[in-house]
Amino acid sequence: MALKKLDVRGAKCPIPIVKAKKEMDTMTPGDQLEVTATDPGSMPDFQGWVKTAKYALLKEQRTEKDEGGKDLYIHLLERT
Amino acid sequence: MDETPGGATEPPVPTVEVGALLPRLDRGDTVLVLDVRNREEFDAWRIEARRPVETVHVPYFDFIEDPAASIAKVPRGRDVVVLCAQGGSSEMVAAMLQDAGVPSANVAGGMIAYGVYLEPVRVPLAGGEPYELWQVNRRGKACLSYVIVSGGEAVVVDPSRHAPWYEEFAARRSARIVRVLDTHVHADHVSGGPALARRLGVPYFVAAGEGFSLRQPVTPLADGQEIRLGGETGVSIEVRLISTPGHTPGSTSFLVDGRHLLTGDTLFVASVGRPDLGGHVAEWGRALFDTLKRRLADLPGETRVLPAHYGTTAEISPEGVVWGRLGDLRRTVPEMQIATADAFVDAVRGAVVDPPGAYAEIIRVNLGASASEEKISEWELGKNQCAAAARPAAGA
Repeated sequence: MALKKLDVRGAKCPIPIVKAKKEMDTMTPGDQLEVTATDPGSMPDFQGWVKTAKYALLKEQRTEKDEGGKDLYIHLLERT
Repeated sequence: MDETPGGATEPPVPTVEVGALLPRLDRGDTVLVLDVRNREEFDAWRIEARRPVETVHVPYFDFIEDPAASIAKVPRGRDVVVLCAQGGSSEMVAAMLQDAGVPSANVAGGMIAYGVYLEPVRVPLAGGEPYELWQVNRRGKACLSYVIVSGGEAVVVDPSRHAPWYEEFAARRSARIVRVLDTHVHADHVSGGPALARRLGVPYFVAAGEGFSLRQPVTPLADGQEIRLGGETGVSIEVRLISTPGHTPGSTSFLVDGRHLLTGDTLFVASVGRPDLGGHVAEWGRALFDTLKRRLADLPGETRVLPAHYGTTAEISPEGVVWGRLGDLRRTVPEMQIATADAFVDAVRGAVVDPPGAYAEIIRVNLGASASEEKISEWELGKNQCAAAARPAAGA
C-alpha cells in the first residue's frame, strides 16, 4: 500500500490526467496517488476521468493554499 | 509523454482562431464542433452561432483512456474543429484524430478565447449622418459594448476589460477616444472602462448609486447632461445621459443623436434587467418599473434600443445587430406589459435564476478592488445572466 505523490503545479489540461494515468499504470491495487494541481478545471476533470477509468477511484478532493496564497487542488486516487 | 501533446517532432496540428471559426458557424458551413471538456463545463456553457451548431461531446480524458472508441464517436464528412477550455486538451485530441486520418483543427485558446473575442458590427444608419455607431459583440458572454465615432473623436460605452482592443479599433477608424462611459456597475463581467480611461488620460463615468462605495475616480455627469463629440472639425453629435435606475440604483442610459438609446441592462430586446442582484428586489424593482413606464415614456417609438446584453442569438437581427424599436419593445417585451409596480416586482422576483456565479467578486472589482488576471478570467467564464426572464442553459 504505497502512497505516491505527483506534482503537476502549473500544468494545464490534459497534462495532469496524462501524467496521473501514466503513474496509475505502474501501480498495484490498493496503492494511492496524491496529485497536486493548480488548474481549477482539474476538479471536475478528475471526477470525469475516474468514471471512465475503471481501475481508478477518487478517494478525496480538497483545496489548499500554497505559501504564496495560490489555490492548490489536491486529488487522492486509489488504484483498484 | 512529452509536455507538449503530440510531441515536437510531429507535424503541427492545424489551428483555427475563434474569429475565423464564428463566421463559418454563422454561415452554416459543414463544421462539426467536437467539444472535449468535462460534462459539467459542457452543460454550463457552449459555443453558439447565428445558426444551430452541430456539436459532439466526448471528454478528452475518454480519448486518453480509450482512443479507438472515442475516435469512432466522431462523425465523418465534416470539418472537425476540436474545442476545450484553454486549447491544450483539444490540441492533443486533434493530433490523435489527425493520426487516425480524420482531418481536424484545434480551436486556439479554447473557450477562454471564445469568452474574450470581440466582434465589431456597424449599426446601419439612414445614411449621411456625421457619425458611426459600432456595436461590439463579445460573443462568448453575449455582452455588447459600443463605440461612437464622429469627427475624429470616439466615445466608448461599456467596454470589456480588454482595453487595448478599443484603442486599436478607434485608431483603425482614425479616431481618438475622448471619453469612456459605463451604463452601470456590471455584475457579470469586469469593466474595461477605468483601465481604458486611465491609459488614455480621458474622463471616465459610471454612476454607482446609493449603497455602493465606488473607489474608481469618475468625472460626474448630471441627469440630462449632454456630451458633444467631434466638435473641433465642425461635425458633432450629442450623447445625452438619462438616469434609468432599477437594474442598479445608478443605472444610466445614453441617447445618441436623439435616436439610439444605449440602455445598458435596463431594457433588453426580449426582456428587462434583473433588479435582484443587490438583494433589494422590491425597491429596485419599483425603480425599474418607474424607469420603464415613466422615464422612458417621452421617447418616441422610433427610438432604437441598443442594450448591453442579449439572451439568445435569436435576438441578433439579420444585419448582425442586437436592437429593437422602442415602440415595438413596449408591445413585445413581456415585462413591459405589466400594469402595476407590485405585479412587476412579483413577476421579476419569480423569474430570476440564481445570481451569476462570481457576481459579488466582479462587483467589488468594478467598484475599484484589484484582482489577478487569472481570477478575473475564472470569474468571467460563462454567458451573462442579467435578464429578468429565466432561461434554460444554452443548448438545454
